[in-house]
Amino acid sequence: MVTAPPLTPTFLLGLTALAVLTYDSVWPDSTDGSVLTGISVVGSLASLAAAGWFLTAGTGLATDGVSLYADAVVVDGMSLFFTALFAAVTILVSLASFDYFAGKENQGELFGLMLLAATGMSLMASANSLATAFVALELVSLPSYALVAFLKNDRGSSEAGLKYFLIGALSSAIFVFGVSLIYGATGSLLLPDVAAAFESGLGDRVGIAGVGVLMVAGGVAFKAAAVPFHFWAPEAYEGAPAPVSAFLSSASKAAGFALAFRVFVVGFPLGPAASAGIDWALLFQVLAVATMVLGNFAAATQDEVKRMLAYSSIGHAGYVLIGLAALSAEASTNGDVMGAAMAHLFVYGFMNTGAFLFVALAENWGVGRRFEDYNGLGAEKPFAAVAMTAFLFSLAGVPPLGGFFSKLFLFAGAVEAGLWWLVVIAVINSSLSLFYYSRVVRALWFEEGDHDLSGAPTALYAALAVALIGTVVLLPGFGPVIETAQQAATALFA
Amino acid sequence: MVPVEYYLVLSAAVFSIGLFGLLTRENALLFLMSVELMLNAANINFIAFSLQWGNLTGQVMSLFVMGLAAAEVAVGIGIILVLYRNFKDVDVTVPQSMRW
Repeated sequence: MVTAPPLTPTFLLGLTALAVLTYDSVWPDSTDGSVLTGISVVGSLASLAAAGWFLTAGTGLATDGVSLYADAVVVDGMSLFFTALFAAVTILVSLASFDYFAGKENQGELFGLMLLAATGMSLMASANSLATAFVALELVSLPSYALVAFLKNDRGSSEAGLKYFLIGALSSAIFVFGVSLIYGATGSLLLPDVAAAFESGLGDRVGIAGVGVLMVAGGVAFKAAAVPFHFWAPEAYEGAPAPVSAFLSSASKAAGFALAFRVFVVGFPLGPAASAGIDWALLFQVLAVATMVLGNFAAATQDEVKRMLAYSSIGHAGYVLIGLAALSAEASTNGDVMGAAMAHLFVYGFMNTGAFLFVALAENWGVGRRFEDYNGLGAEKPFAAVAMTAFLFSLAGVPPLGGFFSKLFLFAGAVEAGLWWLVVIAVINSSLSLFYYSRVVRALWFEEGDHDLSGAPTALYAALAVALIGTVVLLPGFGPVIETAQQAATALFA
Repeated sequence: MVPVEYYLVLSAAVFSIGLFGLLTRENALLFLMSVELMLNAANINFIAFSLQWGNLTGQVMSLFVMGLAAAEVAVGIGIILVLYRNFKDVDVTVPQSMRW
C-alpha cells in the first residue's frame, strides 16, 4: 500500500508555489492571471483536501503525533487543523487576487510569494523545534513584506511595506535572541528537550530562561498582531493591496497563534515554569486585556473601513490570547479553552477574510475608503452587501452566526478556568465592537448613496460566496470543528 | 576557558547597541545595520552556549541565523529601494501618508 508522507499538505503548498514560479519563468510577461489563479486554487484545494483527509483518517491524532526529521517537525491534529485553515484562506485570497490584480504585471511573483508564505505558515504549525520555528517564521515574514509592498508605484503600499518590515525585523531579532537565551538555559532547541530541562529544574539559569521566554512571546506577538508589537498592523493592512491584507490578518495571525500554542504548551510547561517564577499565563492575561481593549477602542474611533477592520483584527487577537491566558498547570479545562481559541481562529479565517475581500471589491469598483463612501451599496449590489453584513455580524458575535459560537465556547472555557474577570472585559469589548461594525452595516443599507458601479467581478464574487458559506455553514457544522480543535488541543497537553 | 557569563554580557551589550541604534536612527540603512547587530548578538550567544553545552546545535543555528539575516537584508534593501523611488529619501520618518 502506498502511504502519503505525513507532511503532504505542507508539501502540496510548497509544490504549488514552485509550479506557479515555473509557469511565471516560462511566460514572464503575461498579465493574464487566469492560469496562475487556477494553479494556486487547485494546489491549495489539494492541500486542504489532504489536511482534511488526514484529520478524518486520524493521522497523528494519537497522543504524540508523527515526529519527522529527528523530531524537528511534528504532524498532529493541531498542525493539520491549522494547515486546513491556511489552505482555505489561500484559496479565498487567490480567487480574489484574480480580479483585484487583473492586468497588472508580476502576478506570478504575487501568487508565488503568497503560496510560499502559506507553506511557511503550515510549517510554523508543525514546528517542534525552536530552529524550525525561526526558519518557518522567516519563511512567512519575508514573502509578507514583499506582498505588502507589492504595488511598487503606490506610496501607501511601499510605506506600509517599510513599516511592516522595520517592526518585523526588530521582532524577529528579539525572537531569535530569546531563542538563544532559551538554548543557553536548557542546552537544546527541541521543544520536548526544552520541556524536560524545565521539568528537571533550571537552577541558577532560571533568569536567562525567563528573559528568553519573554522575548519569544514578543516574537509571536508580532505575528499575531498583539500588544506590544501591534503598531505595524493598521499601517500594513491599510496600505497593502486588500487581498494581501485579508491574507495577513487571517492566515498570518493564525500562524502566529499556532506557533505560540505549541511553543508555550509543549516547550515551556506551565507547572515547572510557573513554580520557577516564569508564569507566562499571567503575561498572556495582561497581553490579552491590553490587546483587546486597545484594538476595540481604537477601531471605534476610525473613519476608514479598512483601518477599522485592522484594529478590529487586533481586538480579535486579544480574544484568542484568552486561549493561552486561561491555561493553568493542573486544570482539566486547558484543552477545551485552547481548542475554542483554535476554533475561533478557524471561523475568523472565513469571516475576516470575507470582510477584507468586500473592501477589495469596493476598491475594485473605485468606491472610496471611508464609511460614508459605502453609503447605499446595499441597494445597488445586494449580494455583496448581504455577505458583508453577515461577516460583520459574525465578527461582532451576533447569535445566529459562526463567530458567536466560537466566542461562546472561548468565553465559557475561560469562565470554567476561573478567569471570569477576563471574560467580563472581553464581553464589554465585544459589545463595543457591535457598535463600530454596525456603522458599516448602516452605511450599506440605511444611507442613500450615489455610485457608478460597473460590473460584478466573477472571481471576487465567488470568493465572497465561499467565505459566506464558510461563515454561515459553520453554524450547523460547528460541532465537528470545535470537537476536532479541542481534541487536537487536548492532545498537546497529554 | 572564558566563563560563559562574559559572553552573555558581551551579547547583551551588542544587542542593546543594536536596539539603541534602531530606536534613534532615521536612516533606513542604519536601521538595517542595527538589526544585524541584534541578530549577531544572538549568534554570540548560540556559539558561546554551544561550547558550554558541548553540542553543535548552537553552531548550526547560528549558520541559520546568518543565512536568514542575509535573506532579510535582501528583501529589506528591495523595500528601501522602492521607498526611495516613491519618496526620494531613505529617511524612515518621511513617509507619513497614513497616521501612525
